[in-house]
Amino acid sequence: MKHAIVLTVCLAASNLAAEPLVLENGTVHTLAGDSFTGRVVIDSGLITDAGPGAVAPDGARRLDVAGLHVYPGLFDALSTLGLTEINAVAATVDTAELGAYNPHLMAATAVHPASEVIPVTRANGITHAVTGPRAGQGGVIAGQAALLHLDGWTVEEMAIEPSIAMVIQWPAIQTRIFDRSTFTRRTVPYNEAKEKAEEARAELRDWLEAARHYAQAASAGDGRAEHDLKLEALARVADGSQPVLLLANAERDITAAADFAEREGLDIVLAGGRDAWKVKEMLAEKDIPVILGRTQSLPAEDDDPYDRPFRGAGDLREAGVRIAFGSAAGGGFGPGGPHSARTLPYESATASAFGLSREEALKALTIYPAEILGVGDRLGTIEKGKIANLMVTDGDPLEITTRVVHLIIAGKEVSTDNRHRDLYQRYRARP
Amino acid sequence: MRFRRQIAPVSLILAVCFVCAGPATAERPEPPPYYAVRDARVVTAAGDTLERATVLIADGLIEALGTDLAIPTDAWVIEGEGLTLYPGLIDAMTDLAQKREEAPGRAGSGGGRPGGAPRPTIRGPEDRPATTPWVSAAQMLGDGDDRVAQWREAGFTAAVSVPTRGFFAGQASLVHLGDSEPKERVLATPVAQRISFRSGGGGFRSFPGSLMGGISYVRQVLSDARHEAIELELYERSPNGRQRPIHDRALEPIRHAITGRLPFLMPADHGREIDRVLQIAAEAEIVPVLYGGQGAYARVDALAESRTPVLVSLDWPEADKDADPDADTPLPMLHHRRKAPATPGMLADAGVPFAFTSDGLSSPAKIFEGVRAATGAGLSNDDALAALTLDAARILGVDDRLGSIEAGKIANLVLATAEPWIEDAEVRAVFVDGRKYEQRKEDEDAEPPATDVSGTWALQLETPGGVRDMTADLKMTDDGKVTGDLTSQRGTVTVDDGRMSGDRLSFETTRTMGPRTVTASYSLTVAEDNVEGTLRAGPRSMEITGERTAEASEAEAEDGEEPAVSTEELERAMALYSGPIRDGNSFAITGATVYTVSGETLEDATVVVDGGKIRAIGTGIEIPPGIEAIDADGGSVIPGIIDAHSHIAIEGGGNEGSVAVSAMVSIQDVIEPEDIAIYRALAGGVTTVNVLHGSANPIGGGNAVLKLRWGSDAGGLRFEGAPSGIKFALGENPKRSRSNPPPGVERRYPATRMGVMDVIRQAFEEARDYRADWQRYESSSDKNRLSPRRDLKLERLAEVLAGERLVHAHCYRADEILQLLRLAEDFDFRIATLQHVLEGYKVADEIAAHGAGASTFSDWWGYKVEAYDAIPHNAALMAERGVMVSINSDSGEEMRHLNQEAAKAVKWGGLDEIEALKLVTLNPALQLGIGDSVGSIEVGKDADLVLYDGHPLSIFSVVQKTFVDGVLYFDRNADRERQAAIDAVKEKLAPEEDEETTEERGEEEEAPSPPESRVEDIHYSCREVGP
Repeated sequence: MKHAIVLTVCLAASNLAAEPLVLENGTVHTLAGDSFTGRVVIDSGLITDAGPGAVAPDGARRLDVAGLHVYPGLFDALSTLGLTEINAVAATVDTAELGAYNPHLMAATAVHPASEVIPVTRANGITHAVTGPRAGQGGVIAGQAALLHLDGWTVEEMAIEPSIAMVIQWPAIQTRIFDRSTFTRRTVPYNEAKEKAEEARAELRDWLEAARHYAQAASAGDGRAEHDLKLEALARVADGSQPVLLLANAERDITAAADFAEREGLDIVLAGGRDAWKVKEMLAEKDIPVILGRTQSLPAEDDDPYDRPFRGAGDLREAGVRIAFGSAAGGGFGPGGPHSARTLPYESATASAFGLSREEALKALTIYPAEILGVGDRLGTIEKGKIANLMVTDGDPLEITTRVVHLIIAGKEVSTDNRHRDLYQRYRARP
Repeated sequence: MRFRRQIAPVSLILAVCFVCAGPATAERPEPPPYYAVRDARVVTAAGDTLERATVLIADGLIEALGTDLAIPTDAWVIEGEGLTLYPGLIDAMTDLAQKREEAPGRAGSGGGRPGGAPRPTIRGPEDRPATTPWVSAAQMLGDGDDRVAQWREAGFTAAVSVPTRGFFAGQASLVHLGDSEPKERVLATPVAQRISFRSGGGGFRSFPGSLMGGISYVRQVLSDARHEAIELELYERSPNGRQRPIHDRALEPIRHAITGRLPFLMPADHGREIDRVLQIAAEAEIVPVLYGGQGAYARVDALAESRTPVLVSLDWPEADKDADPDADTPLPMLHHRRKAPATPGMLADAGVPFAFTSDGLSSPAKIFEGVRAATGAGLSNDDALAALTLDAARILGVDDRLGSIEAGKIANLVLATAEPWIEDAEVRAVFVDGRKYEQRKEDEDAEPPATDVSGTWALQLETPGGVRDMTADLKMTDDGKVTGDLTSQRGTVTVDDGRMSGDRLSFETTRTMGPRTVTASYSLTVAEDNVEGTLRAGPRSMEITGERTAEASEAEAEDGEEPAVSTEELERAMALYSGPIRDGNSFAITGATVYTVSGETLEDATVVVDGGKIRAIGTGIEIPPGIEAIDADGGSVIPGIIDAHSHIAIEGGGNEGSVAVSAMVSIQDVIEPEDIAIYRALAGGVTTVNVLHGSANPIGGGNAVLKLRWGSDAGGLRFEGAPSGIKFALGENPKRSRSNPPPGVERRYPATRMGVMDVIRQAFEEARDYRADWQRYESSSDKNRLSPRRDLKLERLAEVLAGERLVHAHCYRADEILQLLRLAEDFDFRIATLQHVLEGYKVADEIAAHGAGASTFSDWWGYKVEAYDAIPHNAALMAERGVMVSINSDSGEEMRHLNQEAAKAVKWGGLDEIEALKLVTLNPALQLGIGDSVGSIEVGKDADLVLYDGHPLSIFSVVQKTFVDGVLYFDRNADRERQAAIDAVKEKLAPEEDEETTEERGEEEEAPSPPESRVEDIHYSCREVGP
């Protein structure tokens, strides 16, 4: 466990203090109570005061945002930002390592801070994101996800938590398999699919048990057990101290995963959760939060209501399930990858057109993911003491036509410029 | 299948003992060929039924029949009292009696192929892929097909045997099912040519690799054959001075079939397939006989009108036993399963000629089960008999010699206690070609069952590789007949021929594995809840033990029991499932913000629609009497959304990716009007779509512009008057940058952008010559002049040159966009739309100068290198520079919110709201050449309208109603009713929540190769990159 701790320390020693900054005259949507028109005071990367009567410290930079709206920055609760530049070019993709059990791998060790995707994403108000590894073909434990500011010269500056959760792909019973090598979809007999899933689940159980055994041996301190990076990393999951982002979509897989987690004492957050609405009572009762994938996705079955995916988030929230959204949590059409992370607010907004209240829709992009991932005391609202990740907009951030005017990340104003705007301006100026 | 087990003792007159399934080589006595069947009820099938009649048989023919015939002294008398004599049954399409190894090669080989040799790549129709029309089933007959005896024992005396592999697999032959030498089997040949639109193989490797490719190929061959006929005729008339026609062995038999009016067997099951086949047959002027035909209930009128015969498959659709228990079965499939067996009865009532085919069913018992399903669903026994006898003969053109009991006809007869398919009917004797085959009881008497074996059994099979688990679900009747399923890891198979005699349980299972079928025989001894015994499969024998784990479940529905959902209920739900919400195409929307898009936006305004057209727009308009007012309740109305790039509603693959130029294929041929994506698109306000071929090749196939008249057939979806189009594609997809062909398969040209341009240029060089040839021909006065050969590929390209077909070109990079524009200018045509055109903003001036439209994505980028410079400002920037721009979806999901995608052009690039709305309404209409009738809200235009409950660019607005031609096809309230109807049906059909059954699985030794995986079609998008 020693190695991981060292890494944590060095990665977290980032985010040097910026000069004090005051946002003035904007409508501040704190998401922690009433909105107000007034000041947000930022110093050393944190919100030091917020309110109609908050006082600007001497020497602070003052930014007049009259007529604009100040919101907490948006939180992408599961992405592959920094791990993929161009999906189709394998050389630029660092999401899925070989091997089925890689608990010791850390996304933070592969994040490319200069990725063009990052500034493109933050330009739409997304100020921080969980970046996680994905399981490869047949993979189960993908590795550790990091919580990052979407700004920083190095990953050390970006990291809020270099290891915030373990990403595990729940072994699903898959009778419909898409084979990318032949670009065909195959159907396999149910019994075969089920057996395969059960074998993988049993294997996962063995890994967890081995990790507990390892932790016990390591704590005995007689030095007989050899150092094992994988089991050391997994031990934190096995004893419930590190949350698991457990990817599962079908009802039967979610149910089985929840039972499994309960038996094994895991602290899980369901990710993906296409059918989560079908088991919302169970999820509420067991207090299993869900990081949802794309709301704008097609119904799973031909006969499902056309708006079934649009209503899922609202149904879950109504049942008391805690929800968030992740651009890489699955669903939807397209090649995936981090390039669509900038449209994250519209996934929540679409849910809002079909049942989720607008306030809840905003919270699902801000404070809920922070709470779900255990950083609710540091992120997600505009409150004194929290990290100053904010966006200033000219309207409701859930509406597509709204523009993000200013971005504050870790207390510093960050440019909304990016590759797209550069290209736009360059070619717009073509004579 | 040992049919004899079900045969009760027969009359005592038997002299000849015939034991079924004997090898054909066994020596047999040759008795004199004279017989008399006396005092039988004779169903002639030609009209009369004679009671207590006598039928005389001599030299293979029916000599005479009547009620008081003198029986010649040399005739062997068979007592028919209490029995009925029927014409021998005919199985109208099978592969019976063929020698397996002589079956022609697999698809793509173009003929016999030595095993293991790499399959040659087929580059186009001229290579004649999987085309062996010269092959005749008559030449493929062999000994050793045990099914011949099984079929005969059940009452089948003749069958049509057909080569089964390939697009033109070969000639069907009518064979008799006697016990004779192969060469004596043939009754008539050829009776038909068989067509298929699909063949194994293909894909991206070998032409044709898609359904539309197969259809196009069949069309081309039929056209070539007809052309060759004319060419030969002209040549024979005066060879002097003419070039000798090249002999094409593939065309010769097809040519003969066309000119000789020989039927073509054509595959058609569902309504849409029937429509296609009838159209292809009419175009090619051939005589079609449909096979499959189970969905003909939906096209009875069309078939009756054209009097097209149908060979109805008796393999009725049913749930896949290996299916995922949690997978949902769509309502249309449930409906189809219910309706299919009603097809024969409906065809009979409408006077459509039809016959039955066993279509791969493994035993006569299953065939008869199929017939009973049809008679249970409205077919009379008389009509069933006709379909199995005289009508089959008529369709095959042999009713002058077969099919009824008439003097002079071939003596193919069945003597039985009732129609052979009736449950408990016993076939006593069968005559084939005048030769008698009599059923006799087996030596071994069946004992009454000692115990009831019904229930679930866990079986353990001892194989050389270890113990394998299986589960048998069995049901036994009082007389010891056993039915059920056997499940192993290989999947579930039906228990055939199951019998409990004393304490001995025997049954067989048959599994199809690729081209082979493997039969396993189980012989077990039952003691209470334990069994033991052996399994035999071929030469192998393995020990089995097992125990009962559950008694028979009572919940299971018995045959004949009322289904959980009545047919009426299903039909009611289906009526809500698709089709207009209500009749009528006249109404007025009031109190709406009307975004006309082409003119002003009107607050609190009214739109009057009459007869499907917009009649008036404005504020304070009076609504004409009799026209219903719909209160918009403060919502907004916009023109129906038009998606200029979609791949919905395509059956059998949207890419013919095997060739670099697939202009010969067309999406129009493979529209799947039942695709649920149509309804979902309507729910997102889409009323018109441009359905395009995929982007696998530099020049793709034809498109289809559809109006989303949900519930219509493919013809009804067609946007009348919309110009035809064709797909081009540049860049990474057509050069197949990321595809690695398997060993032995060549990489397809082109592999660079240079090559892509070359392919397009070469194609148009060729098309220009082709066009000139035709122009010369058409302007020539020489009546004897031979027309140029019609080439479906060049014909479409010639249409582009003539400005009659719009080019929709998939492209990304600025350089390739420019190259294509210049190439088109070289050939003097204009690119109608650049599709995706993600770097269009870099060459917007050039695009505008050329006059091409641009249809782009709102904000997709970065998924491949050529999308790395994509920017969400593209639409706005191109529009700013004077390009006609639209935003498309290329996705069945994204098309559901194209209004939101339009809003992104307001956000990125600052387009004004109306210009943004035009991106998904008027602009795509203009790009597709349909701007005169749709795309904006103007008097006289089609009433394609969308009603939102808020601002059309707001993400919070939800489509309330969508009209096409003034007809309401989506309504948010009606959608809830529709869903409730679906849910109600599904709920009733849901299996009761049982205790989970024991999870026994394992591998059966009888299945040595891995399980066949079923490959489905998937639709391509141009964003995704195919292999």
